[in-house]
Order: sequence, then structure tokens, then C-alpha cells
Amino acid sequence: MRISTIALASLRRRKGKALFLMSGIGIGIGTAVALLSLSGSLRDEIGSQLDRFGANIVVTPHSDSLALDYGGISVAGVSFDQHQLSDADVAGISRIRYRKRLSVIAPKLIGTTEVDGRKTLIAGVDFSSELRLKKWWRLTGRPPESPTDVLLGYEIARAVSAIQAVPGSLAKTDRGTPHHVATPEEIRITKQKVSLGGREHRISGVIAQTGGPEDRMVFAQLGQVQGLLGRSGQLSVIEVSALCKDCPVEDIVAQIKQELPHANVSAIQQSVRARAEAVDRLSRFSLVVSAVVLAIGALMVFTTMMGAVVERTKEIGVLRAIGFRKTHIIRSLMIEVVIISAAGGVGGWLAGLLAGRLALPYFTEGGAQMELRLSLAVFAVAVAMGTGIISSIYPALRASRLDPSEAVRYV
Amino acid sequence: MAFVVVENVSKTYSDQESGIGVPVLRAVSTEIAEGEFVSLMGPSGSGKSTLLTILGAMNHPSQGRLLIDDIDVYALSDERRADFRSQYLGFVFQQHHLMPYLNAIENAMLPLATLPMSSLEKRRRGLEVLEKVGLAEKAKRLPNQLSGGEQGRLAIARALVNDPPLVLADEPTGTLDTKTGDEIMRVFLDLNRRGQTIFMVTHNPENASLAHRVLHIRDGELEFAPDSTAGTASRFSPAL
Repeated sequence: MRISTIALASLRRRKGKALFLMSGIGIGIGTAVALLSLSGSLRDEIGSQLDRFGANIVVTPHSDSLALDYGGISVAGVSFDQHQLSDADVAGISRIRYRKRLSVIAPKLIGTTEVDGRKTLIAGVDFSSELRLKKWWRLTGRPPESPTDVLLGYEIARAVSAIQAVPGSLAKTDRGTPHHVATPEEIRITKQKVSLGGREHRISGVIAQTGGPEDRMVFAQLGQVQGLLGRSGQLSVIEVSALCKDCPVEDIVAQIKQELPHANVSAIQQSVRARAEAVDRLSRFSLVVSAVVLAIGALMVFTTMMGAVVERTKEIGVLRAIGFRKTHIIRSLMIEVVIISAAGGVGGWLAGLLAGRLALPYFTEGGAQMELRLSLAVFAVAVAMGTGIISSIYPALRASRLDPSEAVRYV
Repeated sequence: MAFVVVENVSKTYSDQESGIGVPVLRAVSTEIAEGEFVSLMGPSGSGKSTLLTILGAMNHPSQGRLLIDDIDVYALSDERRADFRSQYLGFVFQQHHLMPYLNAIENAMLPLATLPMSSLEKRRRGLEVLEKVGLAEKAKRLPNQLSGGEQGRLAIARALVNDPPLVLADEPTGTLDTKTGDEIMRVFLDLNRRGQTIFMVTHNPENASLAHRVLHIRDGELEFAPDSTAGTASRFSPAL
């Protein structure tokens, strides 16, 4: 026989009230958990979208440009005092303090050349980094291996008759609509070689239609293109992938700027930032709603406990009369509250997770997962217990202050 | 040497509406010797319950002192007085006030819940007092599974479990039929024969007469001389 025995037995006796309190706390905690998990999952989804986003920092040569117009008619744009990027700048980027946060550095030289006699945009790239960066590229064929291997954009491959539709694929797809995009499964390469600036190069693969500028471009090894264009060691742009959910992008940009003072460094994150801000707003809203629901739960605990104290006046009086200290009365009531709150917290956490999981598809674009976070479980139980304890302090104090002689006068 | 000394104890309650003090006890003095069985009689509103709660260390008198075992009870702090009650006093309430959610042995062990004692020892003492009142075989029953007399005996067992030097009983037979009331009084007399000091408030003159001494109270004043003696307990003598 301990004080906890009395508390447990009392709980067993008052199952209905205990369940009522438990569900009150559980609803509060469940709402908080559902909202917090939901906003956490949205945040994670944004993080993974950022990670898939590709290059998020673009380094371009610094130049001062002047737009000239006369009477509202654009005459010409003039660039002057232009600084070229070079291979050495790639090494410079690799030296910044946050270099470990950089997942890909993809240098490029862009120019024009003749592909089978057609004037075409050519990009010299480092294929190993470029293909890691452009995760959305889908290739027919293989990634380039030798220095003379090239990748053709979809439109240019069609223009030089390097591809042809796979028989039967057109029947399966709606080829007639203007929005149809050819997939790698629908085309096959029919030409082995192509002439770039008068030199033979092997067509290693064709990039499936993206609808972007790469459809009209040829991609070759950076060194080859630098030689072809006569711009040895020069670069047009360096794309850097660093933006992930926890990356300090602004700091990385600042460090690159410091390392390459002659270059323009800019972060592409506006659209993502807008969404992140929306999620932040949702998180704040979740916190406010959770706080309100918890406050209602706390009020419910308070009124129920006050009612319980009145209802148990006689019982408390008897306990005081037979030698229970005030602290024993408080402890006995608090044990009950802690058990109820902890159970409500666990129940609320489970219910909140379930509700969050069911609601998740309505808030995300799909693919988002709701993680089982132990920290959230601990938080839920701690908040539940905190709410229960705080809202029971006054009723428990009041119970302990009951005059035993008054209480047993109910006899 | 008296075990309990009530010394000029007065109690005045303040009327909540008018704020005027209403005297309930007026300079009550009496003594109770160790092993004595004293009963207190008086009409409703005479101050019986107030005197009992003052003796029970839970109702601070407006004036006077209460000494039990030479301890000035009301000089103790509130929490120390709770400890005092736990060590010195056993209460038997009129309606027993058993915890309905605790079984018989748990109810009997209730005063031990706060004491630093092993669970085994608590259980042993619980069973011992249940045996003393003839309820050992019903240790697992809830109060509502016991008869009125058994509930009364269980309330006595709870009052005895901490081995208190003084048992205070507030009309322990007040709600019981004659037969069950007699059953309870037998237990009290048996306990007193074994040396238990008992102070009992009652309306029942027959039960009061079973005590060594009967005190009468009227309008907050004791009418009976402290050295008066009462009945001889003849009603139960053959059974004891």
C-alpha cells in the first residue's frame, strides 16, 4: 500500500472521468501532433525538392552592360569591361570554407558551331558533374565516355536525322497532340557520328525532349569544346549545386563572391523561398492552433479536477484525518493526473500521426512521407504531462488545504 | 498521569454572514487516562463533534491547550500534526468512510500508505488487524461487498492498523441497526480490555454506559465531573 496504490485504484474506480480527461488531453495533443507533423513533412518535401532542384548557384562572368534605346525602341545592348571565367575559378570555388556543402560544380563553355552544316549552340561540359546536376535528363543511348563522344538535344538530333521513332510507340501514345513529349523509349538512334566544326564525333546519346534550351543544343566534353571554339581554359558559366534544406546558401554565395571577386554569383531560390515562407506561416499557424487547443484541454483538466476535488472532499478529509500530509494529498492527485496525461499524450500522439498521415496527400504534391519522429513523441507526452500538471496544481493545492475537520463533517 | 489533557479549550466559529463569533466550546477541561474508555454524550449542536475533532488534532481551538502524551498538539505545525495523527490517533467515523475502490485489506492498510515501511510489513499488519476484527477471510472484498457490521469492523481495523495509543470514534453505531451496533460495541470493548484508550462520541445512552466514564456536554460546556465513572459494561460482560 503506497500513495500510488490509492491513485491507481482511484483511477480504476473513475474510469469514465479518466477517459474523458485522457481524451481531452489526447485531442489537444493529437491536433498539435497532426499539425506539426504535417508542417514538418511539408518542410521535408520542400527540402527534397530543393535537393532535386539542380544548380542553385550560378556563377557568370562579371560585366557592366548598358541598354541603349531611343524613343522607346531598343537599339542595342552593350557589354564592356567583361571578365572571363576560367578553369582556375572552378578550383577557386572548391576552396571555399563551405566546400563540403557543395554537391556539384559544373563548369560550362557555351558557343556556336556547325553540326552537320547547321549553326547550333554547343556546350562544353564535364559530363560526370553535368549528369549529376541534370537529374531530369533522360538519355537514349549512353553517357559520353571518350573525349569525342557527344550528347544531342532532341530537336537537333531530329534536325540531323540522328533519331527515329520506335515502330509501334506512336500507336500507344497520343502523338497527334502538340504537347506530346518524346520519351527515350519512343526513339532510337539511327546515326553513329556527327560533324562538329568539321570534326567527326560519336553520338553517345540523345537527351529526351525537355522543352528547354537543351533540346536545341549539343553537349560535348569541355576540353573538346574549348579547343573547337579556340577558347582554351575559358568558361561561360559555372553552375553549383548547394541548395539543400539545411544549406546556408547565402553564406556559400558570399564565400564564392569573396573567392571570385570578378564574377557574378547569384542564388536561384526565390520560388522555393516563397514556398518555404508559406510553410513557415503554416508552422506558425499550427503552433497557434495547437496552443489554443491545448489551452482548451488544460481548461477542461482544470474544471474536471476542481470538480473531482469537490466530489472527493470527504475522501480527502478522511485521508487528512488519518495522517496524510498536504504533500501526500497533492502527490496522490498528481500521480493520477500524470498517468492520465501521459496516456492522453501517447494516445494523442498516435491519433495525431494517423490524422496527419491521412491528411498529408491533401497538402502535398505526392511523394512526401511522414516520418516517425521519436522527438515528437517525447514532446507530445511531455507537453501532455505539463498541461495536466499545470492545470491541476491549483485544484491539488485546494484539495490539500481542505480542513479535515470540515471535510469529515460531511459525515 | 493523564494521557490526554484537555485544558480550558474553547472554540468559536465565525458566522459567515454576520461575522459574529459563535462559541461552540467554552473552557472545556478534562483528562483521559491511558487504557480508559470515555464516551461523550450530548444533544445535537452541543459541541460533541467539535471536541472530537479538537481531540483528533485537526481543529485548532480558539483558546486552551491539548496535550496528548505530553505533546502540545496545537503547537505543532500543520504537517507535523498530520504526522502526529498518523502515529497517535485512530479514527472511526460514523459512516465508516471506507474508500469504495480499495478492498478490505487495502482500506485497513490506508493509514500505513505514507509510512516508510516495507509492503510486506504493511500487509502483515493489515491482515493482523483484519483478524483482530474477524475479517481476515474477507480481505479481498470491496466495502460494498461487506455487510454494515463488517464495514464498521473494517473501519475499526483501519483505525487500529498504525497501533495508535488513542482511538477516537464518532458515533460508530449511529447508522447501524441494534444488532450490528452491538457487534461494533463488542469490538470496542474487546479492544479496551486489551488496553486500548478509546474516546467515543455517541447519542446512544446504552452504548455510552459501556464506557468507564461518560461525559455530558451541553451548549459547549461539560456537565459531568471529570472523575465520574459510568456503567460496568454488563450488557456485554458474558460475551467478553
